[in-house]
Amino acid sequence: MAIQVNRGVIGKEYPAYVITVERGKIKEFARAIGDLNQHYLDDAVGRASPWGDIIAPPTFPITFRDERADAETLLRDLGVDVSRVLHGEQEFEVHRPIRPGETLTCRTRIVDIYEKAGRSGPMAFVLRETSIVDRAGDLVGTMRHTTVVRL
Amino acid sequence: MKYAKVYFEDVQVGDEMPALVKGPIRQIQLTRYAGASGDFNPIHQDPEFAQASGMGGVFAHGMLSMGFVAQSVTDWLGAGTVRELGVRFTALVRLKDVVTCRGRVVGTSEKNGERLVELEVWAENQRGEKVVTGRATAAIPSRLD
Repeated sequence: MAIQVNRGVIGKEYPAYVITVERGKIKEFARAIGDLNQHYLDDAVGRASPWGDIIAPPTFPITFRDERADAETLLRDLGVDVSRVLHGEQEFEVHRPIRPGETLTCRTRIVDIYEKAGRSGPMAFVLRETSIVDRAGDLVGTMRHTTVVRL
Repeated sequence: MKYAKVYFEDVQVGDEMPALVKGPIRQIQLTRYAGASGDFNPIHQDPEFAQASGMGGVFAHGMLSMGFVAQSVTDWLGAGTVRELGVRFTALVRLKDVVTCRGRVVGTSEKNGERLVELEVWAENQRGEKVVTGRATAAIPSRLD
């Protein structure tokens, strides 16, 4: 049976959410990757660095999520099951490194949904973009996340 | 040499990034990455679920491989240098796979007072199949600074 993705959610903006960057989460994330760069792990190295503290690895913003929202919201909006989805593409723009203790506001919207024939059959591509803004209102980074749905 | 300082003047189009070898991938790393990233999709943890999904068993988070690619760039050019990183996940990484991250300089430029190195980056498994392909831009210091 062919699966349909609900294209009605193109343009949908999700409620903004605020995250506080935790020192321990930065270190846990770097260690999980096996990236032992001391700028991510050693507070003394961080203090002596141009940034004055440890910084997060470039892909760390993938951990930012709305803790109050239901994790299944996107799947429900698309009308698909978790077993059908794959991570197709991912982009990060980094305007400056992220440090522990920062309070950041994230806003996600669904930019586009399009269908293409993949190697293993028809697929839908769902492009989401998340902007990350600091307390001063400056853009810290942008994430673009393409989810592939096996139809 | 890992973590040596690389200057803009020393980088030329066509230069190869030092390869970074990660793995073999073990289940414990996927479990650890799930905890660190908050991505608890059972397809990366539960062999029965992964089989039933028609994916032929457990595979690694794409974001773990992207983390490896980011590490390959920062091991060479330094932490805090990455300005852009964009990838496609082109094949699944399985348990026991060895992932080698590679890259090549495809451009150099100056923008907003920063000296930028543009790289083609990719990661391949032990059979030489590309599992990630993408581009990275890093801002690095000049000998003139």
